[in-house]
Amino acid sequence: MTAIQFIFIAGVIILFIYYLMSMRSAVAELVFLIVLSGISIFFILFPNKTNTIANKLGVGRGADLLFYVCILLFLFFVLKLFNRIRRLEKTLTELIRKDAIDEVTSSRQEPVKESGDEIDNTKDKKFTQ
Amino acid sequence: MPDISETSIFTQLMLHQINTRDVFVVLPAFNEDTVIRKVIEKLLPFNYALVAVDDGSIINLKNFIKDLDVTVLRHKTNLGQGAAIQTGLDYSLRMGAKYIVTFDADGQHKASEIERLLTPLISNNMEITFGSRFLTGASHNMPFARKVLIQLARYINYAFTGLLLSDAHNGMRAMTQAAARKVRIKENGMAHATEILVFVKQSRLRYSEVPISIIYDEYSLKKGQSGWQAARILLDLIQAKIFR
Repeated sequence: MTAIQFIFIAGVIILFIYYLMSMRSAVAELVFLIVLSGISIFFILFPNKTNTIANKLGVGRGADLLFYVCILLFLFFVLKLFNRIRRLEKTLTELIRKDAIDEVTSSRQEPVKESGDEIDNTKDKKFTQ
Repeated sequence: MPDISETSIFTQLMLHQINTRDVFVVLPAFNEDTVIRKVIEKLLPFNYALVAVDDGSIINLKNFIKDLDVTVLRHKTNLGQGAAIQTGLDYSLRMGAKYIVTFDADGQHKASEIERLLTPLISNNMEITFGSRFLTGASHNMPFARKVLIQLARYINYAFTGLLLSDAHNGMRAMTQAAARKVRIKENGMAHATEILVFVKQSRLRYSEVPISIIYDEYSLKKGQSGWQAARILLDLIQAKIFR
């Protein structure tokens, strides 16, 4: 085993433990994590295997294939985070709006009040870590 | 400069037996400080219901205008003009507004011209009216660079909504209660101007444009939108299209 393999395997194991600790009992995530870690350790130990897959897909080297896959994954996560920020922004907006209106209406007790205008903040949204 | 007689608003509204207190004027404000006071003082004689939305200004807007007859809603943090307008609409609807006008708080609009926007709503059966600085009858002294930018914005609006108005991103609009219920601004930033057109298109609101004048002084130019912000608006629009 070369030094770089040792470093990478140690890194994967540390990440695995870190995610395991911050995870909240989601079986699907656990399975996904184990499979992912297993695959990465396998390819770290036998880097030549990536070449075989790359050749089958029409890419020259395994390292190149990995690079392309990483770009795709990176973009995917950026979009996911982006979406989450938008969602958070929406919730924040609704909360601040409700607060601003409530502050004025509660102190003054105006007669007109319609039920249709209430903002629904209870919609269940999953915010996983 | 030609100006509408100040009394005509009362005759117009009285003719149709409309209480001026049913007309809500929403003023989104972010760090307008003392300028908004002048704007509100000019609006007060018309006896509209005034709603200032303080969009998380650094100095609480209330400090400047607490002695005036105006409702101040305060966002605890800065969200953007679109969010402020929607808050104003929500509040106005809850208070039973029959007509809602949006009006910039930086002093670039004329209080006396609100009537022009209301008239088609009251008599012509329009549901929403947009102020336009380019229609004949409107006086303006606009810097060239901004003119170009707004022309560009018009066609961007057209690309996104299919409506080609003579002016884009004019802060002065008026709508009926029914139209206001169809408007639900999700673009917190400046892209709301385009988003409102989307609601007009979707709900097939009857709309028209009304010539109004814009006063460009040093202050409103400084507060106005730069080319950089225009790029930001375009980005917001594209994002909204992708992530809707």
